[in-house]
Amino acid sequence: MNQPKEIFVKTSRCMGCHACTIACAVEHSQSKTLFGALAEQPRPVSRIYVEWACPDIKVPIVCRQCEDAPCMHACISGAISRDANGVVMTNADRCIGCWTCVMVCPYGVIGRRLEQRKAYRCDRCPDRDIPACVDACPTGALVFQTVPEYSATARRHASRELAQAEGN
Amino acid sequence: MRLGNWLKRRATDVNAPQHSQYVIIGAGAAGMAAAHAIRRIDKGGGITVLSQESDTPYFRPMIPYLVSNQKRPNQMAMAGHGPFDQPNIDILTNTKVVAVDSANRQIALAGGGRMGYEKVLFATGSRPYVPPEINGIDTPGVFAPRTLADARAMAARAARTRQAVMLGGGLLNLKTAFALLKRGIAVTLVVHSPEVLSQLMDPADAALIRKALIDAGLVIQTGVAATDIQADPAGVVGVALSDGSHLSCQMISIGKGVRPCVDFLQRSGIQIADGIVTDRHTACNMPNAFAAGDVAVSFDPVSGRPMSTALWTHAIEMGRCAGLNMVGVKTAYSGTFGILNATQVADLPFVSMGTVHTAGQDYEIHRKSSANTYHKLVFDAEGTRLIGAVLVGDITHAGLYRSLIRDQMDITGRKRHIIDRSLHYGHFIGNAKFT
Repeated sequence: MNQPKEIFVKTSRCMGCHACTIACAVEHSQSKTLFGALAEQPRPVSRIYVEWACPDIKVPIVCRQCEDAPCMHACISGAISRDANGVVMTNADRCIGCWTCVMVCPYGVIGRRLEQRKAYRCDRCPDRDIPACVDACPTGALVFQTVPEYSATARRHASRELAQAEGN
Repeated sequence: MRLGNWLKRRATDVNAPQHSQYVIIGAGAAGMAAAHAIRRIDKGGGITVLSQESDTPYFRPMIPYLVSNQKRPNQMAMAGHGPFDQPNIDILTNTKVVAVDSANRQIALAGGGRMGYEKVLFATGSRPYVPPEINGIDTPGVFAPRTLADARAMAARAARTRQAVMLGGGLLNLKTAFALLKRGIAVTLVVHSPEVLSQLMDPADAALIRKALIDAGLVIQTGVAATDIQADPAGVVGVALSDGSHLSCQMISIGKGVRPCVDFLQRSGIQIADGIVTDRHTACNMPNAFAAGDVAVSFDPVSGRPMSTALWTHAIEMGRCAGLNMVGVKTAYSGTFGILNATQVADLPFVSMGTVHTAGQDYEIHRKSSANTYHKLVFDAEGTRLIGAVLVGDITHAGLYRSLIRDQMDITGRKRHIIDRSLHYGHFIGNAKFT
């Protein structure tokens, strides 16, 4: 089955190190190196965000590529469309910086370059097999799998825990 | 587009009525969203979209970019962009509908043609309101921009315009004003209200935006109205204002709101109250007829009250919903806020949504401002639900706030984060606590 891979987030594993955000910014820089990226103008920015919630939960937040993507439908310039791999893309040439997408995205994952009036967002790293954020995550909090793969893993874990709880 | 087929069919027998399973009147946001929503499900049924305009469907909010010469019409075309990616949708341009016979499921076209339908969608949108009390409103050089054709004419006139006067301080007129500024034209904004953007915020909330507009070069006159437009043979040369003053200009742009286009529904039996009355499933009072977008009256999800808007997002959402209902997938429309706008003026982004006019009302209001930002968060009188937000300068996570308003979520526990603007999606993850 030709299932696209998705980025899954396991908040229980995230320790808030921000390796994902740095890797994302570097991947979206011109030089694609850390030191090169630091020197670039405009400064490369991450498309993944790590938030913190009480009591001590770190939450990596990245575009969910919504099935019914509100941003794509709301866009007033036709800049947002879904590519063949199911990735929702913002075409910077068509974007006019009206921020309607920002107003309708419930996850808050659409970034803004106010001077250029261009929105930017996760593009799933089209040049890479594994997105930079997933590749950089040292704890396995970010997982790049198909939905069936991921749910099979989740089921295996759950049944193992169940078996252990029953003392088998 | 299969215009050729249609013309051929017409040519064989002019009097024989045409027929299309789905007929959509209006090729704006609502009509096109519906057409594509139908086609995603029904791969075979004929879909015909009728447009009075001579241009094929385009992104209407983009028309100021034609005035400023930043975009060409083909860069605003809908076909193949964003969600408008479905095939086999017949678009008939220059086609005006003059009457609807819902008993016989037929529409009458200007010029005598008729077209039968199984389902019809009224998505005729709205037209600019032009104040009749202003003398000389028909003078060449006076525009109330709505269509690509209007924008073309405006762009042509702009080439010989040194000064322009904008009547009305709404969003479209502001965008048009910036387009004219870009072309080096001196622009004066004349607003009858005490402040710009009075539809989108209280005067006290617009201070930062007003400053940004002035810094960008716009001259603003509030509390005055136009009374007389003066002309010479080449068109407008000036406008007299209610305070007795006079402004020289070679162009006037009117942005005084819109009115729904419902004239073609007289004697159709379709119920009209300011716009076309729809039920929760976007259906009209007559069978097999639906309405969406500016022309439809829907409802405010917070108050439940009837609501007409001229919002792009509303037109798209309601159009998609109507399309699903037309194809037989019964779908309730979630309603719309009267206000749901985002844009950027100069370097200042802003979002206004939900209940934002609070003067004299019993709401709980929190304001927070800095040199470059202004936030106003409006809660209901009990303080348990967010009902509106004005975010200026920093619109981070605006969509999350919109969800809170739309879903009327009990925000107890999250309120501090809302007020100090630190709320993020992580606060909604299962085991997050709110302190």
